[in-house]
Amino acid sequence: MFDFSWNMLTYFPPGISTYSKALDDLFILVYWISVAIFLLVQITLVTFIFKYRTRPGHKSIYYHGNNVVEFIWTLAPTVLFAGLGLYSDEMWKVMKYSSRVPSPDVEIDVVGQAFNWHARYPGADGILGKRHARYRTAQNLFGIDPTDPKGKDDIVLTGEFNLPMNKNIVVHLSSVDVLHSYFLPNFRIKQDAVPGSWIDVWFNGTKAGKYELACAELCGSGHYAMRGVLNLQSDADFAVWMDAKNAAKKAVLAAEAANPQAAAPVPAAPVAAEHGSSH
Amino acid sequence: MSAVATHLEQGHAATHDAHAHHDHAHHSVSFIRKYIFSTDHKQIAKQFLTSSLFFLLVGGAFALFIRWQIAYPGEPIPVVGKWLPDTLVSSGAVQPGFYTQLVTMHATVMIFFVIIPMATGAFANFCIPLMIGTDDMAMPTINMISFWLVPVAGLTIMSGFFVEGGTAAAGWTNYPPLSASGTGHMLWVIGIFLVGFSSILGGMNYLATVLNKRAKGMRMFDLPLTVWALFITSVLQVLGTPVLASAASLLFVDQVFHAGIFIPENLLTPTGGLFPSGANVGSGGGGQPVLFQHLFWFYSHPAVYIMILPIMGVVSDVLATFARKAIFGYKAMVFAVMAIAFLGFVVWGHHMFLSGMSPLLGTTFMLSTIVIAVPSSIKIFNWLGTIWKGNIHFTTPNLNALGFISTFVCGGLSGVFMAIGPIDVYIHDTYFIVAHIHYVLFGGALFGIFAGIYYWYPKMFGKMYNETLGKFHFALTFITFNLCFFPMHMIGVGGHMRRIHDPYVYEFLKPFQPINQFITIFAILMGFSQLILIFNFLWSLKFGRPAPRNPWRANTLEWAAPAHPGHGNFDRDITVYRGPYEFASPESKRDYLPQWIRPAHIEKEEVVAAEKH
Ligand code: HEM
Ligand SMILES: [Cu+2]
Ligand SMILES: [Cu+2]
Repeated sequence: MFDFSWNMLTYFPPGISTYSKALDDLFILVYWISVAIFLLVQITLVTFIFKYRTRPGHKSIYYHGNNVVEFIWTLAPTVLFAGLGLYSDEMWKVMKYSSRVPSPDVEIDVVGQAFNWHARYPGADGILGKRHARYRTAQNLFGIDPTDPKGKDDIVLTGEFNLPMNKNIVVHLSSVDVLHSYFLPNFRIKQDAVPGSWIDVWFNGTKAGKYELACAELCGSGHYAMRGVLNLQSDADFAVWMDAKNAAKKAVLAAEAANPQAAAPVPAAPVAAEHGSSH
Repeated sequence: MSAVATHLEQGHAATHDAHAHHDHAHHSVSFIRKYIFSTDHKQIAKQFLTSSLFFLLVGGAFALFIRWQIAYPGEPIPVVGKWLPDTLVSSGAVQPGFYTQLVTMHATVMIFFVIIPMATGAFANFCIPLMIGTDDMAMPTINMISFWLVPVAGLTIMSGFFVEGGTAAAGWTNYPPLSASGTGHMLWVIGIFLVGFSSILGGMNYLATVLNKRAKGMRMFDLPLTVWALFITSVLQVLGTPVLASAASLLFVDQVFHAGIFIPENLLTPTGGLFPSGANVGSGGGGQPVLFQHLFWFYSHPAVYIMILPIMGVVSDVLATFARKAIFGYKAMVFAVMAIAFLGFVVWGHHMFLSGMSPLLGTTFMLSTIVIAVPSSIKIFNWLGTIWKGNIHFTTPNLNALGFISTFVCGGLSGVFMAIGPIDVYIHDTYFIVAHIHYVLFGGALFGIFAGIYYWYPKMFGKMYNETLGKFHFALTFITFNLCFFPMHMIGVGGHMRRIHDPYVYEFLKPFQPINQFITIFAILMGFSQLILIFNFLWSLKFGRPAPRNPWRANTLEWAAPAHPGHGNFDRDITVYRGPYEFASPESKRDYLPQWIRPAHIEKEEVVAAEKH
């Protein structure tokens, strides 16, 4: 009904990030070690079952164990597994430790909302405006601070995102409602989007193309369809796309400036002093 | 034989007599006391067993709905689809909302109402008093309450299907904020709180019983491994479950009073409104959803050992008996269980590698988790050592125990992949996890549970089960199990997320549909194979051959009790003279030497006592 392969890597989607190769190698190392242990145990089991099966005249021996053997088979897995753990820690550091996150070439904000992904790009000024949860509304998902001029030109997109290839991309990830999980199978990266926290995710894609973005944390009945697309482009293509978005945003801002009433009302920022007293 | 025995047997016959001729009122009272609100540990064990088998069928049915949908999305569920209400299905096919309820209820039922009650309810109740040679639990009434909380909790959770918005649908892990609203989630929380108390009460009782009620001469290191495992599991239950109860209570406070403990500032609801929360707009802080995950896993990781340790004990006893050989490294086995239990409390973070916790903490959880594979390996090696140079009998319980070893290895090894943080980044929340869970909980715990059910069936019901049907059940289950769950590793590494209603929304998952269909076919076959167990169970109750006192020629104390022990268990005084695994001992001409045989009487008494029916 389907092709079976002992090489688990054949089932992986193509890996296209800078660390996907190292991760796949680590996986396959653990895999072959596991296959070896698995076969060792199963073969021993089957051999014993066959060799020591009951039959007329066959007897078991009176034996309670042996401490030397016990010591050996305690030590061996300890060394093996602890070694594996220490060895893998390097990869963990590469993916997760903030000290190891390379300096970002592109920074964006991403939030999950049942059942969509939204991204915020810095806009023409190249800087993401300040944000705070207290400004968040259904219209302002990122909680962009309306008093920060740098946020004015920020661009918010839903569902499909372009990013440049061969660049270190840092995503500041959060959620506006429930937990989601930002999963890019081809990049071998996944990170829970936790409401109330901003968590950094980084990756660097090396091959242009459209890649699927999935939600991996149950977030409600539409969870299965919380799909996005990441369009990884060459620098030049990305620049063209970004310029077009910036130009469009500029036009919108200009129209708003010309006709201020039409602009969405901005909620007043609560003053700091109120925070303590209001509860 | 002894005067005591004769006396008891006469007493028994007399009650029987009285029973038959008594007036109705008296009869109904004794019926209720005997079968419903019984305080006899054996009756309570049977109640746990029956309720767990019932829930096993319910949970299994949920699983088949899930499998159907994921293999043939949008197609009506065969046979039952047309009976389900429109709120759950559309023209017979599972709706997305129903799907999330199904995955939630499947796992909730299987974990909290099948495996845990089976392992720590049915086996603990049946085995502990009999195996330590006493008449009942230390606290029989508490024991009774501990059972009755289970159906009450089960009904509470199940009633969610009939409330507005449906039953809980946030996964068995029930993470807020998703679980912080809705009546179904509230019922889930109440049910879990209740079933948790069942666990705590049971655990306390088992601890007290093992510590205080062991037969004369029985030291801790004379306990069979089943009792040791249950004893240590009870420690986990007593220390871990209150934390689950606290997580549930705090979530309840959030659901009902909007305390905002797990709800961060200014959270939106799925409809775009603001989430009602005490810590709402304008506050500086707000709640922390990840706190719930810490509390939940602080219990639920130890809970996976609550589900497996007793079963490891059962498997050890079954293997030794049918290999006619002592456990290899009895003390090492005990210490390994203790090590697993201890380490079990310091590894919970491996479920949260992606929760955004400090990566440094991730490193420590990664190392502690991977170290827990060591005691697990020790157990595997010692089981292999136990059957080495044995004289292996392939009875149904032993086939299941051997099957347990085979599948548990696979589950343990897949655990190692996930213990490694960077690999877990990729496979977390995919079918790889689903494969792991089922290799340890179905392949491990459930095969061990089957082994235990068959092994103690004669003592529980005084009848022998049908061996041919038993073997048939094992063979079918073992084959279909592996064909069903092994391919899940493959789609898991393919990136296939868990808990998704229709995978084929994603291009990269479309090629996996044939594998999903393959899995589903074997899931269905596996599900129906369980009917053989149920049939064998019920048929043998009535038509089974009467069981002898010690059908397996085993050494532990439960086999000293009459074939179908009544209230009070033993018809003779029990004194323990040796460890539980004296198989093929040079002291005796036979290949076993029960714990209760007096050294002076080895030749004489063992014939009388061990084989008298
Ligand atoms: C060698 C020993 C084991 C190791 C190293 C191990 C490791 C892990 C890890 C790291 C996870 C988290 C994976 C993730 O969510 O990404 C996990 C999940 C799980 N494990 Fe194990 N495990 C082991 C044995 C067991 C046993 C014996 C059981 C049960 C009897 C068990 C039951 C589970 C369950 C139910 C989950 C999934 C929880 C969920 O729904 O997310 N594991 N295991
Ligand atoms: Cu989701
Ligand atoms: Cu765990």
